[in-house]
Amino acid sequence: MEVKLHDIGEGMTEATINAFLVGVGEQVRADQPLVEVQTDKMTAEIPAPANGIIKGFNVKEGDTIRVGETVLIMGSGKASTAAKRASSATAQKTRIMASPFTRKLAREAGIPLEKVRGSGPAGRIMDEDIHSHLQVEPPPQETPVRTEADSIPFRGRRKQIASKMVRSVRTIPHCTHFEEIDVTELLAWKRDVPDVSMGAFFIKALSICLKEFPIFNGRLDEEQECVHLQHAHHIGVAVDTEEGLIVPVIRHVEEKTLKDIQKELKALTNKALNQTLTVKEASGGTFTVSNVGPLGGSIGATPIINEPEVALISFHKTKKRPMVNESDEIVIRSMMNVSMSFDHRVADGGTAVRFTNRLRDFIEKPGILLMEMI
Amino acid sequence: MVEKRDLMVIGGGPGGYHAALRAAQLGKQVTLIEQGEIGGACLNEGCIPSKILTHFASEFRKQGHLQKMGMVMGEASIDLAKLKSFREEKIKGLRAGVEGLLRSRGVEVINGTASFLSENRIGIESGHQFSLFEFKQAIVAIGGKMVYPPGISMESPFVLTEREALTMTEIPEGLIVSGHDYVAIEIAAAYAALGSTVTLLMEGRLPFDQSIEREMKRLLKKQKVSVVTEVTIMSVSDDGGVEVDYESSAGTRQVNGTHLVLCGKSEADLSRAGLDRLPLECEGGKIKVDGEGRTSIPGVWAIGDVTPGPGLAIKAIKEGKVAAGAIAGDKGEVDLEWLPAIVQMDPPVACAGWSEEEAENRGYEVVCSEYPFRANGFAGLKEETDGMIKIVSEKGTSLILGIHMIGSGAVELISAGVLGLEMAARAEDFTFPLYPHPSSNEALMEAVEELTGHAVHLQRRRKKAVQ
Repeated sequence: MEVKLHDIGEGMTEATINAFLVGVGEQVRADQPLVEVQTDKMTAEIPAPANGIIKGFNVKEGDTIRVGETVLIMGSGKASTAAKRASSATAQKTRIMASPFTRKLAREAGIPLEKVRGSGPAGRIMDEDIHSHLQVEPPPQETPVRTEADSIPFRGRRKQIASKMVRSVRTIPHCTHFEEIDVTELLAWKRDVPDVSMGAFFIKALSICLKEFPIFNGRLDEEQECVHLQHAHHIGVAVDTEEGLIVPVIRHVEEKTLKDIQKELKALTNKALNQTLTVKEASGGTFTVSNVGPLGGSIGATPIINEPEVALISFHKTKKRPMVNESDEIVIRSMMNVSMSFDHRVADGGTAVRFTNRLRDFIEKPGILLMEMI
Repeated sequence: MVEKRDLMVIGGGPGGYHAALRAAQLGKQVTLIEQGEIGGACLNEGCIPSKILTHFASEFRKQGHLQKMGMVMGEASIDLAKLKSFREEKIKGLRAGVEGLLRSRGVEVINGTASFLSENRIGIESGHQFSLFEFKQAIVAIGGKMVYPPGISMESPFVLTEREALTMTEIPEGLIVSGHDYVAIEIAAAYAALGSTVTLLMEGRLPFDQSIEREMKRLLKKQKVSVVTEVTIMSVSDDGGVEVDYESSAGTRQVNGTHLVLCGKSEADLSRAGLDRLPLECEGGKIKVDGEGRTSIPGVWAIGDVTPGPGLAIKAIKEGKVAAGAIAGDKGEVDLEWLPAIVQMDPPVACAGWSEEEAENRGYEVVCSEYPFRANGFAGLKEETDGMIKIVSEKGTSLILGIHMIGSGAVELISAGVLGLEMAARAEDFTFPLYPHPSSNEALMEAVEELTGHAVHLQRRRKKAVQ
């Protein structure tokens, strides 16, 4: 029986083998985790489809394989003595057929030999294999050589993000509108509740706005010609990691307190940074928030919707600015801009403006939020 | 005043001086700091003195054969005082050679004790003088320290370290050698050849393929070395000699001798050279490095016994060259997979690659052959017919996975084996080339031929054709 890499999350096409959790010859039970894999977003375990024995692995730790490729072979019955002898995790052939000179070529080109398919006798890696591998897949430049242009890899998560963004922009007629919000009072309010971050407050306030404007928590079904207005508020939070953007999801925000949201936001952000998110934690969002304020600098953006969602909102840097108050006085206020992109097929500008107006009210007068608490 | 340097190498042992010379060859301005003698423990106290002793013992054993061939000489005797002056002269000569090389490459050599003051500064103490240096790159090559089993008094005149054993002034009558690696075997075999009654107490098993281990034990026994493996020493008492109580699988035993030689283990000493002031990432008490010798601190490199792996000069030398290359912009790699293991007993042991058991554990279906040196004509005429060669290969592909030998010339012969392993050679790659005749080299060729039962000089095949 072949155990293959199956689609364990939305849109995944490939995954890297992190670790084998069983050895060759080992007896396993149905649903026992066999292999840990890392997709561009999360780590997951592939379970055993049935009881049986591990006959052998078709891949090595560190390999990146596509959905549908066979990871290992399982057999039925009990482990034999001979198989047990080779049951340690290291019981896999480790000899790479390549001469030291060929290995040097690979080293200098930054190519791991494990990734090169040998064309020589018995799969021996020849110099030409390194050259042709380089043409197919140029290696990442550790220290970019100053030529006419530097190149960085466009693979893995970056490529995944790219294809998702392209699909989103091609499918959804994006419309973005901007608003400025006075956060002076929210900052004052926060001084009394240091355990709650601005981010958690925004997420809670958004959830209340979504109750009033469920269209932005919807999902367009063109085939059925309807928009499904979802009751659950699963809010995705864009996290900027070294590997690229990841969006862990806080589920059922509508049922959670500010403290719950704060706790979960912190835990998920850490997991995203450590690349330990599970499939569930990084999928199934209904609305996305991007809080770029902490990065500083940005006053506006045209964020791309995390399809199949309908809208996405970005919170930008808070700055002290001179503002004119109702008494026509110039006062110093802490101002923050927000950008909200929405799917113009399902909502109009007016609705979006009303949505952000409501959000603005909560942020400018945090006390109002009390009225909405369950 | 702070003096500025590009590359400072701390330690002039085999790793350090190779790194300094390679970096200088590649155009770097190099400063080498050594607190003792250039050449380090290897040249001055370890490898070279031990090889002089083992070579002397081996040549001494040949006298019977030489007389049998017609060489006329008087009764041979041993003059250890003369051996001592020979050794000192040779070490001095080799050391002068290295110093000359360093000079010719323009390496600045400073005699003093180095100490890191920060991640880019080193202080050097030399007598009453203290100098301060700021470096761009530094290679830590300070070697290791020998650690001996606790509970045994090293003060006794009858208990010696392995280094003291190499420079004894008389042949001990009854020698007990306790150790864990090749050093203990070499000392035991050498003194047995020179006339001592020797008991070798090994901490573990002999670290070789089982066939080689069997043959080693047989030959050591033939040379009157009693070998006991997997031993734990319980107590040592000395009163004009030594009495060692030990435990092994056979139970508790006692052995008496005139001297006990304790062979230590080389461990990294991170309290030296101010290393404990640096936030160096370590593993298992040694400095963690990447494949080129980079530590967790940019600009600080480490090689040799302070880094993980066996405490061998062979490793330090490779690491020194690779680190120096990397500093000069080359891309290198330290890969110890086919590190040969050598024991300079008589006949010597030399192995590279995986044992039969190791290859099986790695998931290979293996085919092995064994070829005795007595089937080799050249070994026969030299009367050096003890020992054998064992080849481990993969069934079906005949990929060579391990070459293990015990026999005259094995140390030289293993180089062909290491090259073959590095080239990922298969049986045909060993049997196709032309071999000098008559020579011991042919034994290697025939050992590989024996994988298919085709060794010409074997009257009785040990194994049938298997492929």
